[in-house]
Amino acid sequence: MKFRRAGLGIALAATAATLGSCVHDNRTVLTVYSPHGIDLLKFYETEFEKKYPMIDVQWVDMGSQEIVDRIRGEAVNPQADVWFGAPSESFARAAQENLLRPYRPTWANAVPAEAHDPKDLWYGTYLTPEVIAYNRDAIPRDSAPQDWSDVVDPKWRGKVIIRDPIASGTMRAIFGAMIAKSITETGSPQRGYNWLLRLDANTKEYVLNPTILYQKLKSREGLITLWDMPDVATMRDRVGIPIDYVIPKSGTPLLVDAIAIVRGTKHLREAELYYEFVTSEHAQLEASRQFLRIPARTDIPQDSLPVWIQTAMKQIKPMPVDQNLLAQHLNEWMRYWDSHIRNHG
Amino acid sequence: MTIASWLGGRSRAERLATLAALPLLLILAWTVIYPNVSVIAGSFGHWKEFAESPSDVEALKNSIIIAVASVVASLAIGVPLAFLLTRFDFPGRTLLRAAALLPAALPPLVGVISFLFLYGDTGVITRVTQIVLGLKEVPWHLNGIGAIIFIHAYTMYVYVYLFVSAGLERYESSLDEAAIGLGAGTFRRLTRVTLPLLTPAIAGSALLVFMSALGSFSAPYVFGGGIRVLSTQILNSKLNDAIGLAYVETTVLAISAVAGLMLFRWLEGKRLYVAPGKGGASRQPVRSRSARIGLACAAGLIVLVLVLPHLMIVLVSFAKDGAWTTQMLPPEYTTHNYAGLFTTNQLWTPIRNSIVMSVLATAADLVFCVAGAYLIVTRKFSGRKLLETLVALPWAIPGTAVALGLLATFNTNDLAAGKILLVGTFWILPLAYFVRNIPLVSQAVEGSLRQMDLSLESAARGLGASWWMAVRRVVLPAARPGIVAGALLACVTAVGEFVASIVLYTHGNRPISIEILAQLRSYAFGTASAYSALLIGLVLIMALTARIAESRMK
Repeated sequence: MKFRRAGLGIALAATAATLGSCVHDNRTVLTVYSPHGIDLLKFYETEFEKKYPMIDVQWVDMGSQEIVDRIRGEAVNPQADVWFGAPSESFARAAQENLLRPYRPTWANAVPAEAHDPKDLWYGTYLTPEVIAYNRDAIPRDSAPQDWSDVVDPKWRGKVIIRDPIASGTMRAIFGAMIAKSITETGSPQRGYNWLLRLDANTKEYVLNPTILYQKLKSREGLITLWDMPDVATMRDRVGIPIDYVIPKSGTPLLVDAIAIVRGTKHLREAELYYEFVTSEHAQLEASRQFLRIPARTDIPQDSLPVWIQTAMKQIKPMPVDQNLLAQHLNEWMRYWDSHIRNHG
Repeated sequence: MTIASWLGGRSRAERLATLAALPLLLILAWTVIYPNVSVIAGSFGHWKEFAESPSDVEALKNSIIIAVASVVASLAIGVPLAFLLTRFDFPGRTLLRAAALLPAALPPLVGVISFLFLYGDTGVITRVTQIVLGLKEVPWHLNGIGAIIFIHAYTMYVYVYLFVSAGLERYESSLDEAAIGLGAGTFRRLTRVTLPLLTPAIAGSALLVFMSALGSFSAPYVFGGGIRVLSTQILNSKLNDAIGLAYVETTVLAISAVAGLMLFRWLEGKRLYVAPGKGGASRQPVRSRSARIGLACAAGLIVLVLVLPHLMIVLVSFAKDGAWTTQMLPPEYTTHNYAGLFTTNQLWTPIRNSIVMSVLATAADLVFCVAGAYLIVTRKFSGRKLLETLVALPWAIPGTAVALGLLATFNTNDLAAGKILLVGTFWILPLAYFVRNIPLVSQAVEGSLRQMDLSLESAARGLGASWWMAVRRVVLPAARPGIVAGALLACVTAVGEFVASIVLYTHGNRPISIEILAQLRSYAFGTASAYSALLIGLVLIMALTARIAESRMK
């Protein structure tokens, strides 16, 4: 009996101790959902907390589609304050579903109309060109696929690795752009579906997350992927993975990566401070220099941006994509892809 | 007219028992029945979509193929191993016997990751094999159905091994002797005596494997590649904003599980033999020298295979994040990964969450299941059968389905509809763990109580003990082995839980398994492995605590 009491006491004490350690410092916790990756998020967290010591930024790094799903699921009881990052299509969808809170940033006039929501529900932060990435140790630059049509060439059969598009905003944007373009130009999605079927035929594997994607490119389990330019450049320059990218000749979707305040946030003031902080000219320049992001604000002097951005922007031919079409039909297309194209090529 | 008489039943005691069972039944109706009904209700109108989607039909087919193949593979490993270890004595037997349980200490996601490090295209074993055989290409690819079955076989054969070993321990060797005396040969003895007697053990464990494999999520999620199974398809549909379709997939998965359960029960019922007596140890030493050496080598090899995933996790947990790129083994080592877990608030939170949530859920399970088992075993009342069925029900419902059900039910504050808002709060995960572990704990406690002589309680009452006194001094001590075993199982399952967590977690309550996934996403293999090693450590500590508690009892 005594032993039992002692045991119970110890168990309770241990639980209490564990629970006790969760008593927070008295800073306000600001929760940020973002797919931007640990490096960029940590950097902004540190800088922001230095400026606002009473705010504790906690970010959750996940795929942009997962963020949409989470924010939707939590709509009755919002957990996030700021949603920082995802292609604007995702934000447009969330805006339709009334999940965002309008906010007009101080620099609102510095972005073109297509890079923000008409009701101020979201604003563009970075421009993200989609590119063809390849293992540069395995493929010389000139032999790498130069355009979308080259990627589906049968000679790359089994050499392509693709991030599972269901959970990835980037991949959904690329796939969606191909289908939207097909509809705009031919009146039917068929040409887009055919391209996706040929891509599927070349695809060795659809991988769970970007990390596995990089890992497999590095270890040459696959040699080619489709991904966004800033992330490829980051992996190349900061992590030292032997990959490089080609900007597709015929044009590429230039995604607008955006930011928004989540409807129902309990920390509105803090959320606005963070919003302004990460989109300030200083922060945008830092993002371009350290994390290879391309600022969406047009009032940032072009010559203060890194040279590679200036050159890249000249090479990029934005692919016109009908945003309305995308916002309305992307889910439906992705479902079609999942049922009729994945593993059918 | 009192409530008790309205409840029916012949005696006062019976009515009292029904009254006591009522809150338990209500809780089960609310947390188990209602969520599943919500899912089924939500699925209406989407069945056509499901039937017409080739990917869903394929997912259903794959789920069943994987479940059946996992059963076959686990039996193929578990049964011979159990025979070898209970029937024969050879050098290395003790070591092998200890190592045989190791896969049980590997939480689902952790096992998958260690297999990736070992047997993935760039994994250590893959590379070594490639070099030894001098191959140009990697010898195998760890993806698709084969990979999923491979890891299932590794983690799930333990059920078969444990059940069959227990069956063999109780096995009456005089039956064998009688068969020999009657002139039966080895094969005839095996098919006519040994295997029929082991049928309950084999069927029971096969069912367990079938259920786990059918609902398995982490292996298909990580290695699946192009392979679709229902559990991952549910998450995909949810991500793609097709929640109605996700409900259909959930319903189909649950129906498959229940159908499997019924099929096994039917098979089991057809061939039930009861072994008389208490059995006896009949281990034969292996005499032939070459056989001894052969067995010792084989045992060594098996132990190595069993222990490698754990070793790999521990090794990688010391690897410097980011340094390990194309080398076979991590080139630089550090203790920073561990130091980080305990000093960085953001990294420590998941550990605290997992421990707190598993303790809370287990405590709730214990209170609930001890009460339930007590009523089921010691009382006769109307509704007993119902209670018995309901406590076993969550077992037939795969984790993803449990999670989706809770998501559909506890997503709003609507008291009229019996809904309260738990989604997005801390409490949703402890609730999910509680529900998932009800059958486990109930079964363990019931098992212990059934061994108690039922007249003891009334004897104590007859001698003047109050009800509470009798429960405390007679019933609880009798239930204690079951309580300890149940608590251990529940704690272990909850602390590494992944399947329901990935659907229901929020930033505030993210458990270790989710953080491992997040670390993998940010390329921090070292930190992810440190978490994994810590999880294995936690499981071992829990097992050890249970062991000590058990030995104190005697």
